Amino acid sequence: MVEVGDRIIGYSTDTGVRNKGASGGLVTAVLAAALEKGLVEEVVVLKHISEYEAVPIITSDVNEVLASAGSMHTVPVNLAKYAVGKNVAMPGKACDIRGVIEQAKRNEVDIDNTYLIGLNCGGTMYPVQTREMLINMYEIDPEDVTGENIEKGNLIIRTRSGEEKGISIDELEEAGYGRRESCRYCDVKIPVNADLACGNWGVIGELSGNATFCEVMNEKGVRLLENAIEAGFIEVQPASDKAIAIREKVNNVMLSMSEKWSEKIFTEIPDSERTRYYMEQFADCIDCGACKEVCPACTCGEDSKCTMYHNLEDNYRMSMFHMVRLMHLSDSCIGCGQCTDVCPADIPVTTIFRRFAEKSQKKYNYKAGMTLERPPFLEVMPR
Amino acid sequence: MKEMIYQTICPGCGVGCGLFIRENDEGKLSIDHMKSSPVNLGKLCRFGMKLPHYYAKANNAENMVDGSAVDAETAIKAAVDILKDADTDSVALLSVGNTSNEEQMAFTKLAETLGTVVQTGVQKMCMPEPRTLAGIEKAKKIVLFVDPYVQYPLIVRRLLAAKQNGAHVISVGTKPLNLADETLDLKPEQYGELELDSESLIIADVHPNSDAGMVSYVKALAKGTGAGLQFMKPFMNSNGAALLANKDGSRIGLAELMEDIELGNIRTLVTLDSDPVELMPDAEAAIEALKKLDKLIVISSVKGPATGMADVVIATDPVYSKAGTFLNVEDSLQKNSGTGKAGVDALSLLNAGIGGKTFTHDEMNYLVMKTIEASKDGPSGKMQCSGTDIAVSSTDIPEDMYELRYLYNPFMWSDREDDNDFVLLNRNTVKKLGLKKGGCVNLKGEKGELKMRFRVESIPDGLVLTAKKLSIAKGVSTAISMEVC
Ligand SMILES: Cc1cc2nc3c(=O)[nH]c(=O)nc-3n(C[C@H](O)[C@H](O)[C@H](O)COP(=O)(O)OP(=O)(O)OC[C@H]3O[C@@H](n4cnc5c(N)ncnc54)[C@H](O)[C@@H]3O)c2cc1C
Ligand code: SF4
Ligand code: SF4
Ligand code: SF4
Ligand code: SF4
Repeated sequence: MVEVGDRIIGYSTDTGVRNKGASGGLVTAVLAAALEKGLVEEVVVLKHISEYEAVPIITSDVNEVLASAGSMHTVPVNLAKYAVGKNVAMPGKACDIRGVIEQAKRNEVDIDNTYLIGLNCGGTMYPVQTREMLINMYEIDPEDVTGENIEKGNLIIRTRSGEEKGISIDELEEAGYGRRESCRYCDVKIPVNADLACGNWGVIGELSGNATFCEVMNEKGVRLLENAIEAGFIEVQPASDKAIAIREKVNNVMLSMSEKWSEKIFTEIPDSERTRYYMEQFADCIDCGACKEVCPACTCGEDSKCTMYHNLEDNYRMSMFHMVRLMHLSDSCIGCGQCTDVCPADIPVTTIFRRFAEKSQKKYNYKAGMTLERPPFLEVMPR
Repeated sequence: MKEMIYQTICPGCGVGCGLFIRENDEGKLSIDHMKSSPVNLGKLCRFGMKLPHYYAKANNAENMVDGSAVDAETAIKAAVDILKDADTDSVALLSVGNTSNEEQMAFTKLAETLGTVVQTGVQKMCMPEPRTLAGIEKAKKIVLFVDPYVQYPLIVRRLLAAKQNGAHVISVGTKPLNLADETLDLKPEQYGELELDSESLIIADVHPNSDAGMVSYVKALAKGTGAGLQFMKPFMNSNGAALLANKDGSRIGLAELMEDIELGNIRTLVTLDSDPVELMPDAEAAIEALKKLDKLIVISSVKGPATGMADVVIATDPVYSKAGTFLNVEDSLQKNSGTGKAGVDALSLLNAGIGGKTFTHDEMNYLVMKTIEASKDGPSGKMQCSGTDIAVSSTDIPEDMYELRYLYNPFMWSDREDDNDFVLLNRNTVKKLGLKKGGCVNLKGEKGELKMRFRVESIPDGLVLTAKKLSIAKGVSTAISMEVC
């Protein structure tokens, strides 16, 4: 019997999946079981294109689920929008899950029928930059890489010959490589907002690298795990106190790293300079609309407040598009980084939106995408 | 139907941005950003973001003969009959580079069988070696002859990176650019003031409506100062089209080609994803010229004004689902994941029908690769460019009139809707005409009148800029008068 709050260590019973999986293939096996046993109609997973590229697919083909095993650290896509309007099970980094929850708040996702398997996340990297980093910092041919892992503050790269090379994330980021900026200050590393929170932190001893630590967050999590156990897809055992403590410790180290980055990036801007700051940041915007299109917190569609009042012919010093969006997302921006990733003018959109949203979200002690709680912003302020 | 994901490139301009097109189980298309594409890191401009509209099923070309829908075989047979009857000297083939290298190669094979050449819309001229777009970031001084925000948006980030690295950016033109340190409205004889050297980079563009005089001035400027020269191109496979067109034989500009049609020298036109009505600034004049043809054969993936006028339309696969390769503006070879071979297959049958050989997509691909390989070490690739004395053409604008000038961009080449239905005027003009914010201005030219909204920009007096194709335009520059609506 599985219960909410359980912390287990488990892996796939299929050796192929276990070996291919990032750490034991538990997540893949749970997803496959959910599909096979009819818990869901479809599953969202990544279809691998190369070692550095993958695209999300919505599939009912269990073979495609099995083929998706493994963590793609250079695929910084957000999966939330792929769950819209469907009855799916999906894996997801904390920001994917936060996106789904924001979509659910806006009735785009039926959360009771959407199963979320969270993956601990130390961050994602850009594929092109990573290839360059492998050549310049690791002296490794990008084509030789078979996997990567973040351990004890180091990014470890494995190659075909079985070799492993680690360099500290600090050093990589100092040199302009490493994780995306949003990941550096992201402050949810264990996806406690998902139904299951899975990762390799806390997996020690002989199971290290070969099994996943999984925390059951709610009833849906119980269903997912029980379904996979009953189907014979996974084997589990309770996590030891030591494992639990280690996971907690690593999480705290990562969170304090995020805190440091946050302090470094979000330096205070005096009130008198704030308007100019926002105007200058968006001065090179080419109005492509990509930042809106990819935003997992936005559910407005083509005709939305930010586009309705915005015309290219307007001569405002900052476009209405961005002004409306900044306001509109102040209660829902989850800092997922998608908007920066796709901006053709290389505007650090995420950091600008986080800077704007942070103040109000902090004031109300509200973190978007963590629970189904409605944003408190519309409540009347007591005198 | 199962969801399909195509790895492809944007057909909007020569940058050739990589992306995924997703076709869901209901046939609805959407975009996924391909962050591993070294060209664009998954970023796209306004045009790229609107590709699902561009590719909407209603825009796909259909096989037609004399305005009626037919199957592919019938359309090809009708085209064969036309080409068999035609006098070879009066047949022209046009492909500006809106399709794959393989279709381009197949078109060249057809041209060979017909004893003619593929026109690319651009005069045959010596071009400098393509440079990498990443190289923009390393230049110390950059001179822009294009408006990157409107025309080639994906170089904006390169220019901003260059500025971060200390580059000084000068815009030679009319509109102040946020990223430029200065805007200089210079005549060619004043280019010396730019003080360029070997660490400088000139960014200009070459397209079917380029002023040949300007192009040669820019080349001469680069040669004389040792500055690098990056020519941007408007079509996703402009470089492929130029490379794969028949080596020998004369190539003329699009305007000359249209003139030849007008004069009756060309009586049969075969186009491959190249619509003269969309490509020429004066759409009406282009339509009138095409009406003078005996026969028009359009081979295309999309519908356009020319497919509506054609005697025969041969439909090919939409760009995203085609098999094949493309050469972007930096000569980097990109490949589609699609498997559609309708275009090459049709061209093969067409070629066989007029007495040539049949060929397969794989054979075309082999020839493409061989040609690319040969161009890398062949002498033609390394051609030294010298400036010529072609005069810069200028439209005479009478004292009391204004000059309406185009900023060519992906939306215009593809004749697609955009939110840019306004013109740019300066403050003096707005005051002088008594225009009111939010109001409109009436533009009058020889071809009629047009009411437009306007935006105020610090451009020189007497100039009206447009990024939209306007019905009153006669060319790149048109003399107009204006009054308040
Ligand atoms: C980018 C990233 C960073 C991570 N960082 C940490 C970390 O710092 N600490 C830690 O304990 N665990 C981390 N994990 C989780 C860990 O790598 C394993 O995913 C987890 O232990 C489950 O292992 P598994 O073998 O059961 O998963 P698998 O059976 O291999 O299943 C992995 C699933 O994740 C999906 N997936 C792969 N890449 C992505 C992606 N980029 N975005 C969304 N979904 C994806 C696949 O589609 C697949 O369904 C990270 C995972 C990812 C994707
Ligand atoms: S934003 Fe956070 S959860 Fe998302 S990829 Fe970055 S570190 Fe992971
Ligand atoms: S605004 Fe940007 S960072 Fe915030 S949720 Fe939207 S895409 Fe993510
Ligand atoms: S993605 Fe960048 S360029 Fe495009 S609209 Fe957003 S801020 Fe502007
Ligand atoms: S039009 Fe050009 S710049 Fe824009 S997305 Fe397409 S290829 Fe890229």
